[in-house]
Amino acid sequence: MPDSKSRDLFPGALEMMILRLLKQEQMHGYALVQRIQQASNNLLQVEEGSLYPALQRLLKEGLVDAEWGVSATNRRVRIYRLTPAGARHLTRQLSSFARMFQGINLVLEMGDA
Amino acid sequence: MTLIDRLLRRRRIYDDLSSEMQAHLEERIDDLVAQGMSHDDASAAARRAFGNVTRLTEEARDPWQWPMIESFLMDLRFALRQLRRSPAFTTIIVLTLAVGIASTTTVFSWTRTILLDPLPGAGHPERVEALESTTESGRPIGTSWLDFRDYGKYLTSFSGLTATYPTSLAVGDAKQSTLRWGELVSANFFDVLEVRPALGRFFPARLDSVPTPVVVISYDLWKSRFRGEQSAIGTSMEINRYPFTIIGVAPRGFHGSMPGLDLQLWIPATTLGQIVPTGGWMLQDRATRMFRVLARIAPGVDPAVARQEVQRFGALMARANPVESEGVGGVLLPLWRSHLGAQDSLRAPLLVLLGACGLVLLIVCANMANLLLARAMGRRREFGLRLALGAPRRRLVRQLLTETSLLVVAGSALGLVCSVWLAEALPWMIPTFASPTFTAPRFDAGVLMFTGGLAVAVTILAGIAPALHGTSGRVGEALNDGGSRGAVGAGAQVARLRGLLVGGEMALAVVALVGAGLFHASFRQASTVSPGFSANQVAMGSVSLALAGYDSARAYGFMSRVSDNLRQQPGVTAVSYTDYVPMSVSEGSWEPLRVEGYAPQAGESMKVYRAAVGPDFFKTMQIPFVSGREFRIDDDSAHAPVMIVNREFVARFLGGRASIGMKVNGWGRWFTIVGVVENVKNYRLTDPPTPYFYVPMRQVYRPEYGYTFVVRSTLPVDQAAADIRRAVNAVDPTVPVFNTMPLEAYIEVPLRVQQAAAQMLGLLAGVAQFLAAIGLYGVIAYSVAQRTREIGVRIALGARPANVLRVIAAQAGALLAWGLLAGIVASVMLGRVVSAMLFAVSPADITVFASAALTMMLVAVAATSVPALQAIRVDPAITLRDD
Repeated sequence: MPDSKSRDLFPGALEMMILRLLKQEQMHGYALVQRIQQASNNLLQVEEGSLYPALQRLLKEGLVDAEWGVSATNRRVRIYRLTPAGARHLTRQLSSFARMFQGINLVLEMGDA
Repeated sequence: MTLIDRLLRRRRIYDDLSSEMQAHLEERIDDLVAQGMSHDDASAAARRAFGNVTRLTEEARDPWQWPMIESFLMDLRFALRQLRRSPAFTTIIVLTLAVGIASTTTVFSWTRTILLDPLPGAGHPERVEALESTTESGRPIGTSWLDFRDYGKYLTSFSGLTATYPTSLAVGDAKQSTLRWGELVSANFFDVLEVRPALGRFFPARLDSVPTPVVVISYDLWKSRFRGEQSAIGTSMEINRYPFTIIGVAPRGFHGSMPGLDLQLWIPATTLGQIVPTGGWMLQDRATRMFRVLARIAPGVDPAVARQEVQRFGALMARANPVESEGVGGVLLPLWRSHLGAQDSLRAPLLVLLGACGLVLLIVCANMANLLLARAMGRRREFGLRLALGAPRRRLVRQLLTETSLLVVAGSALGLVCSVWLAEALPWMIPTFASPTFTAPRFDAGVLMFTGGLAVAVTILAGIAPALHGTSGRVGEALNDGGSRGAVGAGAQVARLRGLLVGGEMALAVVALVGAGLFHASFRQASTVSPGFSANQVAMGSVSLALAGYDSARAYGFMSRVSDNLRQQPGVTAVSYTDYVPMSVSEGSWEPLRVEGYAPQAGESMKVYRAAVGPDFFKTMQIPFVSGREFRIDDDSAHAPVMIVNREFVARFLGGRASIGMKVNGWGRWFTIVGVVENVKNYRLTDPPTPYFYVPMRQVYRPEYGYTFVVRSTLPVDQAAADIRRAVNAVDPTVPVFNTMPLEAYIEVPLRVQQAAAQMLGLLAGVAQFLAAIGLYGVIAYSVAQRTREIGVRIALGARPANVLRVIAAQAGALLAWGLLAGIVASVMLGRVVSAMLFAVSPADITVFASAALTMMLVAVAATSVPALQAIRVDPAITLRDD
């Protein structure tokens, strides 16, 4: 399929990935994009800018917070951190996502025999 | 957090966001350059990878927006821009809406003043109803003081009953007096209406038994005459030349008990003896039914129960007082349906007008929906593009509705401003000489809410369909086939909807035309009826002798001296006077009679309406004699009582025989008939011939209603009217003169309401026609524009202009046909509702219907002709090259 590297993730997927990455360590937006691409073996071509609406939504919900700081490469960047609420949210999301994924798999791998 | 804090905080969030995104791009560019790209390539690649900055910024800001206000403001700005771009469209919608809203709001404000909110300033007015007496024929009349006292004593469904007699009062001294309107009321008047004084106090209960000359004045009178000073309380005020003490000021906004009318003075009913020489006697006479009774239904009592009690008790009182009250009944009515007052003659015209305004407003809505639909179809390309770019449809619908509401708000605001001004025109509906002035309709929360409600209804009615249709349809469709020519599927659907709307507009316009036509025809019929006398070249002027405190002897001398004075004026050919001017707003007085040789049938009423007149009355009024003679100056108390009767009196009571010399008993005396005159319309032009009789004023002196001089002159009638004023002043300057005017103007009053209603309906029908024409023009012009190509092909293939015209005519004709049909059906149904208000015109009058249909057809032809002419001028060479 030509669009196998579709940029359209399902709603909430990007947010979930952001939260998951921030759980490991705090980082700024550009680093988040790099990490998503690395971690997914470049399978996910996230439109880089789409990170920011997602981050703003998370900020609004209080799942992350942000602070201006200086990056490893000595740039003035805005560094995001997971809040306790964000951590709880992530746990819930992951388990419900796992259930959904399991369900979809069961359907997709239905024995044809 | 204050709004400013929030705004500042948001500004910081947005700033952070932009710098952050900018930093991201820079970091990416640096990385790419580090990987060996040129700076320009890196910059382009970084932007590509990042996506559309503007869209993303907007999306990222989204969580921080206050969704309603913010996007509404954006929509609003956009809508304003859109509307500015098409000024003609905007102007037509705003102006037509303003007309619709202004007329509806104006008539509503009148209706509210007269019918819906008849007792401003009173507490819980919805529990106050009118208690009326009825004659045996069911005609509503007033209630006598004694009957009122009995009602008050025995009825149990009410927490209080009050009696009022609205009348004009002469306020001032011997040198100068002004005529003001007030009410003689029972002592509990303000208690029953639940009104608290603004200053001083109201009437103590003992005033119903002990006549005390005290007066309560209106707030406005207090402000204007006493400059709002506290010291007004306790001062003396001469009313009908008798000193009254001011004891209280009514609260602001309280105008008395007459719906819509502005009354200024309230005095105890028991002081009638001071106000009018015969007043003391009038309070003691059970047959003098001069009071209006207002009753407050007790808490918890069902009005239906109260109504029954009044009816039961009314019948009981008729049995208890058979001499005065045989056949008289009692009835309880909501104030807006009560008969004594201006509301009685205004009720029907107001409701008809309100209906007509609603009709016009509906047409305005249809027209607006139509124009908006056309516009939305024209913008399908724009919407298609926006949908393709990912704008949610909901957003577009909201955008369109914002535009619609903007139009509606502008139109409503303009309409409201106009109606504040138009509302002043109420007196034009019913001239208020011989009655108090109208209170100005109030533009308060109630009216604003009404107009606001209308605006919301208009937005929904006119806006929803265009918004949904404009944004429907598949995206590709709108983009592919050129957009402006319209998609076939959705386009056809919208065309059908527009056709339906235009047909509906025409149907409603036909209804408006038929309504206006019926009322015009009715008015014309009524105004061609001859009243039986000649008002042409007659001036009138009324005097109130009671107000000047005259007894009968002084009154006779006064009337004679004024008459003599008038007779000497140049141009005057005849002078007389009467205590009842024909075609007045009230019916005058009646007297129970016994006619020699006539045995009334069981239950037959012998109460006959009458007038007490001066010598030469019939000569002045040019009422022809059948036989006998005119009253003379010596038909006075020193000579035998005489009477003149009308032709119908003779036919009914005297078997049509020669009647001169026959005897009739009234006022306990025997009168000899000395003359028979032709029938005259005494009350309404529409009344059938009714028995009527005349007595000499010098033999029956009843000053309480005043006397009116009538003067026939060969000179301009205004001059004769001025002569009356001058003559009265010359004889006694303390006698108040009022209603000096041409008799013709006075007798028009009953017709005036009809005339005003007919004119206003005509105006509304004109507006309706105009709107329907715009609608039809819009639809035909649009379809011609759409089919330019088709028409071009037809012409290229040899179609002649006639063929093209036929196609267009067929389309317009189909719309017209359904509009006419629906309109006529609706008119026939509505005609039944108004038939009772029409005089000598059938609600299915064929002329009216035919001319309405014809007018509509002419308007339709005119509206179609412009686009039709455009169509036959289509140049195939140009249209075909277009593709």
